[in-house]
Amino acid sequence: MKIEQLKEKLENLKYSTGIKNRNELYAYVPKSAAVDVATMLYTAHKLNFAAEFCQQKTGEDGFFISILFISRKHNYYVVIRYETEDTLMSIQDLVFQAHLFEREISDLYGLGIAGGKDARNLVKHEAWESGVYPLKKDFPYGTKIKERNETGKYEFKGLSGEGGYQIAVGPVHAGIIEPGHFRFSAIGESIENLEIRLMYKHRGIEKMMENVDADKLSLVFERVSGESAAAYSEGYAHLVESLNGWQVSEDIKALRVAFLELERACNFLEDIAGICVDIGFSYPAKKFSYFSELIRQLCERVTGSRFLRNSIIPCGNNVEFGGDKAVDIVDTIDGIVHRFNRIVEMTLVSVSFLDRVENTGIIRNDNAVKLCMTGVSGRASGIVYDVRNSFSYELYPKLKKPVQTETLGGVFERYKLKIEEIRSAFDYIKSSLDFIGGRTVPKERNSISLQAGQEAIVSVETVKGDLIIYGLTGMDNRFDRIYMKTPSFANWRGLTYAVMGEIVPDFPLCNKSMNMSYSENDR
Amino acid sequence: MRFIYDRVMYGKESALDPLCVNENSYGRIDVKDSCTGCGACSRECLVGAINLENGKARVDSRSCIYCGRCIDACGHGALSNSHDYRLADPELAGDELRKKIYKKFSRSLVLRSVDTGSCNACLLELSAMSNNYYSLSRYGIEFAASPRHADGIVVTGPVTINMKEALIKSYEAMAEPRIVIAAGACSHDGGIFKDSYGVVNRLDEIIPVDLTIPGCPPSPQAIIYGLLKLLDRV
Repeated sequence: MKIEQLKEKLENLKYSTGIKNRNELYAYVPKSAAVDVATMLYTAHKLNFAAEFCQQKTGEDGFFISILFISRKHNYYVVIRYETEDTLMSIQDLVFQAHLFEREISDLYGLGIAGGKDARNLVKHEAWESGVYPLKKDFPYGTKIKERNETGKYEFKGLSGEGGYQIAVGPVHAGIIEPGHFRFSAIGESIENLEIRLMYKHRGIEKMMENVDADKLSLVFERVSGESAAAYSEGYAHLVESLNGWQVSEDIKALRVAFLELERACNFLEDIAGICVDIGFSYPAKKFSYFSELIRQLCERVTGSRFLRNSIIPCGNNVEFGGDKAVDIVDTIDGIVHRFNRIVEMTLVSVSFLDRVENTGIIRNDNAVKLCMTGVSGRASGIVYDVRNSFSYELYPKLKKPVQTETLGGVFERYKLKIEEIRSAFDYIKSSLDFIGGRTVPKERNSISLQAGQEAIVSVETVKGDLIIYGLTGMDNRFDRIYMKTPSFANWRGLTYAVMGEIVPDFPLCNKSMNMSYSENDR
Repeated sequence: MRFIYDRVMYGKESALDPLCVNENSYGRIDVKDSCTGCGACSRECLVGAINLENGKARVDSRSCIYCGRCIDACGHGALSNSHDYRLADPELAGDELRKKIYKKFSRSLVLRSVDTGSCNACLLELSAMSNNYYSLSRYGIEFAASPRHADGIVVTGPVTINMKEALIKSYEAMAEPRIVIAAGACSHDGGIFKDSYGVVNRLDEIIPVDLTIPGCPPSPQAIIYGLLKLLDRV
């Protein structure tokens, strides 16, 4: 169903609606009807659940809860919005993943979860003082949470009977890894259950984004997750340009694609290197991470930052990009491609390698759908969705490629897809540079001025999956609310399914094959 | 067979000198005499790293996130990027005993990584040090899987309320003498996140810091330089 038809249908049901920015349908429903409308969209119209978020009414008490759905077929967003004073209407019975979003809202805004089975703390750990809700407007920016150990103990799922045992891992892990706690329940060698507790890194970035001038905000976006720095700054640029209707030149659009794909290439190279490390196959592992290092150095030569920071900015371009840089990029990639293919072949002909990756860490398609998984991990389980194709942005509409998918959803499928992603990243880079055709793309900065009270939703394909950003502008060139649905937030739960029935030593392999970001999940 | 062929074909890929001059790296922000002290740069700075002293701007390299906005904002062309990544300096403060202790580790240093809330760019750079371009192990420096096996910890990121306890436990699990290395602007003073509600303390308020490596994130070169400086090898 197209967006206009759905709008008409919702209006026939006597709900007020509005379309903003061409592809965002907002439906304002009474609180009592919210669950029914969500059920209709999810089950009858087969829209995909994307997120649920909260915002405080400007200058008043009371909150708006928004449930965000996506039509992947017709490329539009649907927001069901209702007003509430103190509780949100749970849709946990409808959408399994909703508990994460609802628990987060409950922790940060202090709303009760009406009708939801899972109302445990998510963000708040034991050290937090009780009764603080930091995203509420009456919690001043700059105030710190006091350590008073007033939050109840988090109860992990227990284990009873003979022969079973639990292994507690983390938050500090045995490597150079971000913090998170994993509680394995095992019988013999195989994992029967895995419970993941995250949010160790929760800093409060969304609150911060409401208090930083829009001109400087891209610096904060770049630091939500270092792995996807370029994709996050692209997300912010996309949001601002969608809000103020700015169009950057085609050359800048092409350059942005080149940057985004450079980031994808070096992250996926690191991912497949990690898979080889966890198998103990050191030669390819070392070579893949060496190629990744070469691309990082290339990024430094081109933009001055190994992570492509300060490169993509809203309404402009922050890198003086001359023809010599384009030649450097093409030469470096040409130097890598041939060797990369040989090393990939080395892994694919190794029986012991295949023995470890094949039929390991499988996430079945029905589970992946239930968990709303995205990105490579979702596509490996047969979810045909790539933001670059569906909500195509920058130069992607011109460079379109088919979405690559696999069906089985195991480590090997994710490994193969990541290899394909690297190859397609190289193609994207070359075709976007061909588009620029040796022209110089000058550095161009424009100050951003935002009108208050506008809202927009944008999506970007990051290294981990789809990033959805909702922004509502406020006074003084600041945002009143920014919500980020980060790809890892949904994908993390996929890991609990991937390791089920596997042996404990295969956990790192399953984890690395998905390689979620703790930072963007915790925010 | 394929490995041998590949190896013979392409040879060694490690950099001969990882601490070579890197003209593309970001580095210390230099202030020239043409600075008029107008303060345009410090208004542009998101992290408050620029102070005006005696009518001139001074950039605190430890707090700086090297975004380069101050350089663009300066109307007098007084600020420039020196590309010198050698920014780390151990906090010795004339302490001869500590200097001796660091020297003891100079042939072999085992570290443990503790991340307390970084954006993970610092972590990627830490792990990049052990790729075969930099091959950190040539200096006898290794990362251990447990604080019990470590001489020191490398802390990345601001200290969040949810990670504080784990950080203290990791620190206390190490045998003495123990070294604390703060990598990146966030672990120095909270960096860009210093005003967030979840970031409760500066690292040096919780445990004593021996070495701060500035950067956002510090490049592998900058970290290697800092570590060797600590061990009195550069």
